[in-house]
Amino acid sequence: MAETAETTPAPDERVKQMSAFRRALIRPELGGICGTIAVFTFFLLFAFDSGMFNSQGILNWSTVSAQFMIIAVGACLLMIAGEFDLSVGSMIGFSGMMIAIFSVTLGWPVWAAILVTFALSLAIGALNGFIVIRTGLPSFIVTLAALFILRGFTIYFPQLLENKTIIGGIRETAEGDWLAPVFGGKILTGLFDWLGQTGVIATFERGTRQGDPVVDGIPMLIVWAIALVIFGHVLLTRTKFGNWIFAAGGDAQAARYVGVPVNRVKILMFMLTAFCATVFATCQVMEFGSAGADRGLLKEFEAIIAVVIGGALLTGGYGSVLGAALGALIFGVVQQGLFFASVESSLFRVFLGVILLLAVILNTYIRRMITGER
Amino acid sequence: MNTRTTHQPIIEMRGIEKHFGSVIALAGVSVDVYPGECHCLLGDNGAGKSTFIKTMSGVHKPTRGEILFEGRQMHFEDPRDAIAAGIATVYQDLAMIPLMSVSRNFFMGNEPTRKIAGIPFFDRALADRVTMEEMRQMGINLRGPDQAVGTLSGGERQTVAIARAVHFGAKVLILDEPTSALGVRQTANVLSTIDKVRKQDIAVVFITHNVRHAMAVGDRFTVLNRGMTLGTAQRGQIQPEELQDMMAGGQELVALEGSLGGTV
Amino acid sequence: MTSTLRKVALASAVAAASLTAATTVSAEGEKYVLVSHAPDSDSWWNTVKNAIALAGEQMDVEVEYRNPPTGDVADMARIIEQTVAAGPDGLITTLADFDVLKGPIMDAVASGIDVIIMNTGTPEQARELGALMYVGQPEYDAGLAAGMRAKDDGVTSFLCVNHSIQQPTLGDRCRGFADGLGVELGESMLDSGTDPSEIKNKVQAYLSANPETDGILTLGPVSAGPTMQALNDIGLAGDIYFGTFDLGDEIVDGIKSGVIEWGIDQQPFLQAYMPVVILTNYHRYGVLPGNNINSGPGFITADGLAKVEEFAGEYR
Repeated sequence: MAETAETTPAPDERVKQMSAFRRALIRPELGGICGTIAVFTFFLLFAFDSGMFNSQGILNWSTVSAQFMIIAVGACLLMIAGEFDLSVGSMIGFSGMMIAIFSVTLGWPVWAAILVTFALSLAIGALNGFIVIRTGLPSFIVTLAALFILRGFTIYFPQLLENKTIIGGIRETAEGDWLAPVFGGKILTGLFDWLGQTGVIATFERGTRQGDPVVDGIPMLIVWAIALVIFGHVLLTRTKFGNWIFAAGGDAQAARYVGVPVNRVKILMFMLTAFCATVFATCQVMEFGSAGADRGLLKEFEAIIAVVIGGALLTGGYGSVLGAALGALIFGVVQQGLFFASVESSLFRVFLGVILLLAVILNTYIRRMITGER
Repeated sequence: MNTRTTHQPIIEMRGIEKHFGSVIALAGVSVDVYPGECHCLLGDNGAGKSTFIKTMSGVHKPTRGEILFEGRQMHFEDPRDAIAAGIATVYQDLAMIPLMSVSRNFFMGNEPTRKIAGIPFFDRALADRVTMEEMRQMGINLRGPDQAVGTLSGGERQTVAIARAVHFGAKVLILDEPTSALGVRQTANVLSTIDKVRKQDIAVVFITHNVRHAMAVGDRFTVLNRGMTLGTAQRGQIQPEELQDMMAGGQELVALEGSLGGTV
Repeated sequence: MTSTLRKVALASAVAAASLTAATTVSAEGEKYVLVSHAPDSDSWWNTVKNAIALAGEQMDVEVEYRNPPTGDVADMARIIEQTVAAGPDGLITTLADFDVLKGPIMDAVASGIDVIIMNTGTPEQARELGALMYVGQPEYDAGLAAGMRAKDDGVTSFLCVNHSIQQPTLGDRCRGFADGLGVELGESMLDSGTDPSEIKNKVQAYLSANPETDGILTLGPVSAGPTMQALNDIGLAGDIYFGTFDLGDEIVDGIKSGVIEWGIDQQPFLQAYMPVVILTNYHRYGVLPGNNINSGPGFITADGLAKVEEFAGEYR
C-alpha cells in the first residue's frame, strides 16, 4: 500500500487559492495600518489648522506616541511569548525614583545611578519571569503583585529618605554627565536652528529664548523609541530567537519538545519589558528633572492596549512589533489630537474603549482565518 | 518486507521499571528496536505505553533497568539529550504550533542562521526553500512556506512533524498515537509516510491501540498490558486477532467479540 | 465587515466631536485653557470647571478645561506642550511639580501665551516662570493658620488624613498644621488612599491605636466624608476636634451637625474665575492687577452656611 504515494503530487483541489486581499488581511499589522490611516484622515479633516500639524504640534504627539512605543515594544514581545507584565507602570515610577534617590539623595554620579537602576530593574524583570516559570502561576497574578510592591516602595523610599514624594533637582545634578544626554538630550539641534533661521519652523516671540526655534531638536525619547522598534522587529522576524519567541507563546510544551529553551526566552522577555520601562523612566526623569511617586500610573494598560491595537493576540504566539508601534502611534495621536479637535477629553476613554474592542474583534477574526476555523 | 534480526538493534530497553510514588507504571519491560523497521507498541489505555516512550525519549528517567543506544548505555537527563542522540518524538497534539507558518514550525528549535555583519540572522530564504522541498517529497502541497500550520489537516501536521524529525537526523522516530484522531484517508497518508521513513533505514516506534493500523506497517509487535510486556512478535508470526486478545489482557474480549460479530 | 465597523466608529467620533465642540462658548475669539493636575476622579475640580465655564460665558470668551486622566504630572506637562502648540491667548495652570512643569510653561511664555498660575505653586515660582500672577491659597500658610486656630481651641495632638500622599503640596498643609499646633508631625500623617472604605477603616484603626488623639485634619472632601463616617461609627463624632480643607455637600452637613468644627475654603471658584476675567480684560483693555490674589484661606463655620450650602459642590 505504501507505494501509492507519488513524489510530485498534483495540486490539492481543496486548497483554495487565497486572494491577495485575504493574504494582506492576515498580516498582524493590518489593523494598525487601517487605524493609522483612519486616525490621520480624521484629524487632518477636523484639526488641520488647530496647531496639531505645526512643528510643535507634531513634536507633541510624536513624543507622546514615542513614550507609548517604548513600553509597547517590551509588552508586545512579552505578549507574543505568551505572558503579560502588569508591573510596567509601577516599574516606570520605581526606576525613576531609584535614579533620583541614587543621584540626588545619595549623591552618586548620574551615570552610575542610571546604570545601577538598569541593573536593578533587569533583576526585577528576571525575578518576575523566574517566579512565573517556577510557580507556573499566570503572569497576570505575579506581575499584579509586582505592581503593588514596586509602587509601594516608590512611595516609601523617598518618604523615608527625604520626607517627600517628589524628588527634584536631577537636571542640575546631571549637568556635564556623559550618560544623561543619551536619555534626556536632543539630536539634530543644528538642523533645527537652521530651519528656525530660514523660517521653516516658527521661533519664540519673546522672553529669553526669543528667536530660538520652537522645536530645537529631536528628543532622545523618540530616538530610543525608533531604535527599540527596529530592534524588536528584527529580533522577532529575522532571528532564531524571534522564532523561539513565537514558539514559546504559541505552544510552550510543543516548543520544549523540539528543544526550544522556553523558560530562558520568557525570562529574557520579562527582562526586556523591565528594560523598556526603565528607558521610559530615565528619559522622563532626565527631561523633567524630577521623579514622582505617581509616575507611570496605568501605563501597563496603555502598553497592552497599544499592543492589542497593533494586532497581537492576548493568548500569545502571534503579533508584530511594527503593529504595536502603529498601535502606540494611534494611541498617542488620538490622545493628543482630540484636544486639538476640541473634543471633550473624557471622551478619549470612550474612543479608547471602542477602538480596543474593534481591534480585539478584528484580531479574533484574523486568527480564525489563519487557523482555518470558521 | 525488510531485513530482520541479522543486524544490531539501535535501542535496547532492558528490564525498564518506572514507579510514580506507590504506582508501578512499568514493571520490567524489555524491547529491542531495529533500524529500518517499524516497531509497533500496542496496548490499551493505561497499559504504560506513554510512560514507556517517555522513558525512551528522555522525559522520564527509569527507576530500574538500562537503555542501550547503539550498543552503549545511555542516561538521558532531559529530552534535549535524547534529541541530540537522534531519538525524536512526535506527539499527537503537541507536534506543531498552529499560528506559526509551516516553515517556522519546521525549523523550530533548529533555525538555520546566516551571518550579516557578524550577527547571526535567521536564514528564512533557506528555511522556506528546504521546507517546500521536504513537503513536496512528503506529498503535501503548500500554498507557500508562510502558510500557517493551522490550515493543515491533522494528518498533514503529523507528516510535517515526521518530515521535520527525519530532516534533522533522527535515527529513531517515536510516534505517539499518530493515527488515533484521524480519518481514513489521512490515516493512510500517515501510514505511507511511516513506510517512507522506514525505507531510509530509520527505526520507527509506532504507538497505537489500533491493530489494523499496526498490521499495515509493522515489522514487530510488542503488546504492553498493565505495565508488563507480553513479548514481541515478528510480522507473519502473529494474527491480528491474537494481538487484539493480548491487548485486552484476557479472554473476556473473545466472548464480547463473538457477540459483536467480530467487528472490534 | 471591518470596514463597516470602522465607518461606524468614525461616524460616531465625528458626531461626538461636533456635539462637544458646541458646548464651548466663543464670541470675541479669545481662547483660554485651564490645565490642572487633578485626576478625573477628583470631584473637587468640578467647581473649577463650572467657574471657568461661567467666566467664559460672562466674558464671552472660549474656555477649555484639561487634566491628565490619572493625575500623572508628566502627562500634564505634555498637555501644556500641546496647549502651547495649539496657541491659545492665555494659559491658566496649576504648578503641581515645579521641576516638571517649568520647561513647558516657560515655552508657553516664550511663545507669547500669557500664563496665570492657580491653586498649587507659590507667588515666587510664578514670578520665576514669567507668569502674570498667582491666584490661590499658599498651602503651608493655610495649614499654619488652621493649626494655630486649633491650638487656641485646645487641641494637643492630631491626625492628618492625606488622601493623595504623592502630592507634596498636600503634605505642606499637614506640616503647616503641625507647626501651628507646635507639635512634631511624626507619624500623625496617614496615607489613606482615595477609596472611601479604606479611608474609613484606616482612620478607625489609627484612632484605636492612638486613643489620645484629640484633633483630626482632613485634606479635602475625598477624605472628609469617610472620616466623618468613621467618627460616627466609633461614637467620637462631635467629641473629637475635626477640621477640614475644602468644601462639599458632606462637609457642609458635617459643619451643620457639629461633627466638623470648620472647613477651610480656598474658594476654587475664584481661582478659576478670576484668571479668566483678568486675562480677558488684560487682552481687551490692557489692565492688570498689580498683586497676586489670595483666594483663601477662609474658615467656614456653622454661622453663615446658607450660601455655601446652596452652591456647595457647584460654585463653592
